[in-house]
Amino acid sequence: MKKLSVNDLNTLLGSLHSRRNFMKLLGKMAGYPALTSTLGACGGGGGGGDGGVTGVTPAAVIPAASSEFTTLKRTSFGAHRDELAMIQSMGIDAYLERQLNPTQIDDGNLETTLQTLFPLTTQSPAQLISGFPDNIADVALQMISATQYRQMFSKRQLYEVMVEFWSDHFNIHLVNGLGPTLKPEDDRQVIRSHALGNFRDLLHASAKSPAMLFYLDNYANQAAAPNENYARELMELHTLGVDGGYTETDVKEVARCFTGWAIRFPGDPGGDYGTFVFNPAVHDDNAKLVLGNTISATGGQTGGEQVIDLLASHPSTANFIATKLCRRFISDTPDPLSVNAVTAAFTQSNGDIKTTLRALFATTAFRNSADLKICRPAEYLAGLVRALAPDTPYPTDNGQLFYFAQLIMGQLPYYWPTPDGYPDEQAYWASTGGLLNRWRLSFLSLANLIPEIDVIQLDYLSMLNGADTLAMITDAVTSSILMRPLSSADRGHVLAWLSDEYGLAENETLPSGTPQQVAPLIAAVLVSSAYFQLR
Amino acid sequence: MSLTLPSDRDILVCIFQRGAADGLNALVPHADPDYYTQRSAIAVPAPGNPAGAIDVDGFYGLHPALAPLKALYDAGDLALVHATGVPHGSRSHFSAQGLVERGVADKAGPDTGWLGRQLSITTPASSSAFRSVAISGNVPVSLNGASEPLAISNLGEFNFDQDIVDSGYPAVLSKLFQSPVPFSSPAQAALLAMDELQTANLQAITPGNGAVYPDSDLGNKLKQAGQLIQSSLPVETICLDSDGWDHHENLPVFIDQSLTELADALTAFYTDMGTQMQRITVLVHSEFGRRVAENASFGVDHGTGGLAYLLGGGVNGGQIISDWPGLAPANLEMGEDLRITTDLRAVLTELLDKRLGGTDMNTVFPGFAGPASANVFL
Repeated sequence: MKKLSVNDLNTLLGSLHSRRNFMKLLGKMAGYPALTSTLGACGGGGGGGDGGVTGVTPAAVIPAASSEFTTLKRTSFGAHRDELAMIQSMGIDAYLERQLNPTQIDDGNLETTLQTLFPLTTQSPAQLISGFPDNIADVALQMISATQYRQMFSKRQLYEVMVEFWSDHFNIHLVNGLGPTLKPEDDRQVIRSHALGNFRDLLHASAKSPAMLFYLDNYANQAAAPNENYARELMELHTLGVDGGYTETDVKEVARCFTGWAIRFPGDPGGDYGTFVFNPAVHDDNAKLVLGNTISATGGQTGGEQVIDLLASHPSTANFIATKLCRRFISDTPDPLSVNAVTAAFTQSNGDIKTTLRALFATTAFRNSADLKICRPAEYLAGLVRALAPDTPYPTDNGQLFYFAQLIMGQLPYYWPTPDGYPDEQAYWASTGGLLNRWRLSFLSLANLIPEIDVIQLDYLSMLNGADTLAMITDAVTSSILMRPLSSADRGHVLAWLSDEYGLAENETLPSGTPQQVAPLIAAVLVSSAYFQLR
Repeated sequence: MSLTLPSDRDILVCIFQRGAADGLNALVPHADPDYYTQRSAIAVPAPGNPAGAIDVDGFYGLHPALAPLKALYDAGDLALVHATGVPHGSRSHFSAQGLVERGVADKAGPDTGWLGRQLSITTPASSSAFRSVAISGNVPVSLNGASEPLAISNLGEFNFDQDIVDSGYPAVLSKLFQSPVPFSSPAQAALLAMDELQTANLQAITPGNGAVYPDSDLGNKLKQAGQLIQSSLPVETICLDSDGWDHHENLPVFIDQSLTELADALTAFYTDMGTQMQRITVLVHSEFGRRVAENASFGVDHGTGGLAYLLGGGVNGGQIISDWPGLAPANLEMGEDLRITTDLRAVLTELLDKRLGGTDMNTVFPGFAGPASANVFL
């Protein structure tokens, strides 16, 4: 099917929503108030002194983050003040165990709010096809927004991290042919239902997911001349890994096993549109040989199910999933010791995801992995909201602020076109353009240049708590937003810049009412730095 | 080693067709009878038939959607290399893209990219951040190993407003991203690039010679490549991706869209650049070609040999370069794929040697024994 690009979606959305103003703002910031002149009237020492900060040391290293802070950043979409306090008081192990049981965490009225705000995300394929294709942009926007809201506001953070992990692992591009009618159910019934369950169940659910059957063309896979797309990616990307020990013959044999695994179209007998159907008429029911195992003739649908079981139990699958989990939670190049421990837990528990994660969290490497990863855009964006506005209520209309922010940074949920999912390596994300987009977003947001930013309530007054010198304001904003100290050299850089900008010494008292004008600029610099972007 | 290159070398524009572009329905071997046997439902009809191929030399014909490229071919600026690729033996998109971009046939080779190694052994013409640019959100593997290639998806938005600059924000960022702070290198490159872009004022550069770029992803990227080349920035290498070539089903419909986008964008670029094409080489290739035989969903699965396009004043164009292996079952790779008879690395070595001022084949394509030319360039 034709894969719609982000440009296509923007065209669709552009006609419905207020994209233009937002994009204009990101491109041009004519309204930026010159802070110098705002403060200039308030006096302080005359223009541009050295501010008293001299002799800045050249060493540029970032002080190590605490284990609690690192654990929090690794298992969430950004550190939240309350959760940092929680992990510090209850300890890392108890905190993680709590997160591993998300249904026992009170998530307030988030889910009912999402059902009200984004009702299309709750609909079945049969409901969604009735509005298709006119509803494509709305389905996409609601799916993306619901996911972003959960990442920002849910207290079940580890669960959301795993939802994102499996959404990448079983990647489906949302705006891909009939995808908008099918992916919402896949998100509910496949990904979210099994995110902390059992991998075998997850794999079976994915194999019969109409969204996956459509995305990887298996719905059109027929005995006469099989379509190998799903069979190949099932082994390469979902289970064994490319070096997992399968051959081109295995690809062909697996493709034969899945011939006839299809979806019902409107008017088809036996069920609604967008439900799984096994079509024996186009199934190759002869015997097959998969990875050395015979799949008997006349097995019908059970042949494919046997393949799923075979792959779920295969040692290469355990190693492949363990490696990806370690890459997500430990480092881009995880150590073999950790991977082996996680592989063993996956194997011994028959793919129990919680058991596997417990083994990962118990590794020494996990505890010592501070700052080894960069935040991906979803973590960066949600992290901004979680750090800057920890008490903000759910926005009832975010004016597509979050959508465009994540679009511009390049990690829109359900928008990676190819079946391998968004990359999970720093080399991909820490590009020149990637960094610039984060800088622009944070500067514009925090300098209050994007009207939509009102949806998150930034409370600088309580953040500052009476701080009224450049040094005190810098320390208060650092503590509140970074939740970790700057090196003395970097603190010096920030203070030197502020002193120069405002013509004030770092310990000089600012006029009343101005500290909250200075704070956003400091916040913008801090969240632009490596301190905030590392995890 | 370090090669000092002549200053009159070409600017290289590399277009990677992600997803394994089919070559057989793009440049159709209409005189090979097995083509029509293997693709009875999806073949492009022979020249002279409705929606038939545009005959080139009595054996090959262009897909009708590539019609705009015929003039470039006839002008001697476009050559097509058929049955080409890097013989890596992988049918995985992701492994194969990595191998082709690294310029190696097996994974034992270096992790850096072939372009990155070429750039690293040659002396930059300037200290500009714009020596190598990806019109993309990320740096492609092929540029790995070069000194901080730029990744810019939209040149027009790669800037800070003057008020932000005046606030001292970029300056303090530069302080906070001093080495060895993580990702200090791309951070510094981004800050430098912004300064250069501001001076270059790309917005004032409009397409030349009445060129009209299609409003498509590839069209927008090539338009930006054109702006970079027309600007004062000393760009040497530009990489960009063309997505969506993985046509497992309904190939006739989808490849028509993809080839239309390709032909329209390339033609607009060619028109825009005008006489400047004398110092530009455009390379278009993919990670592998697609299966010869069609499947029951009117698509083609992953294959081996594919098609490469070379465009530029230095191209020995107006010819199809191919030692055609034939599509009879006995002649196919693994019994089902178009065999590679021209190693893409021979084309690339010749490109670097004749148009980019020189290369060291053992460094840029380790493990490749040659030949060092495929007679694609003048």
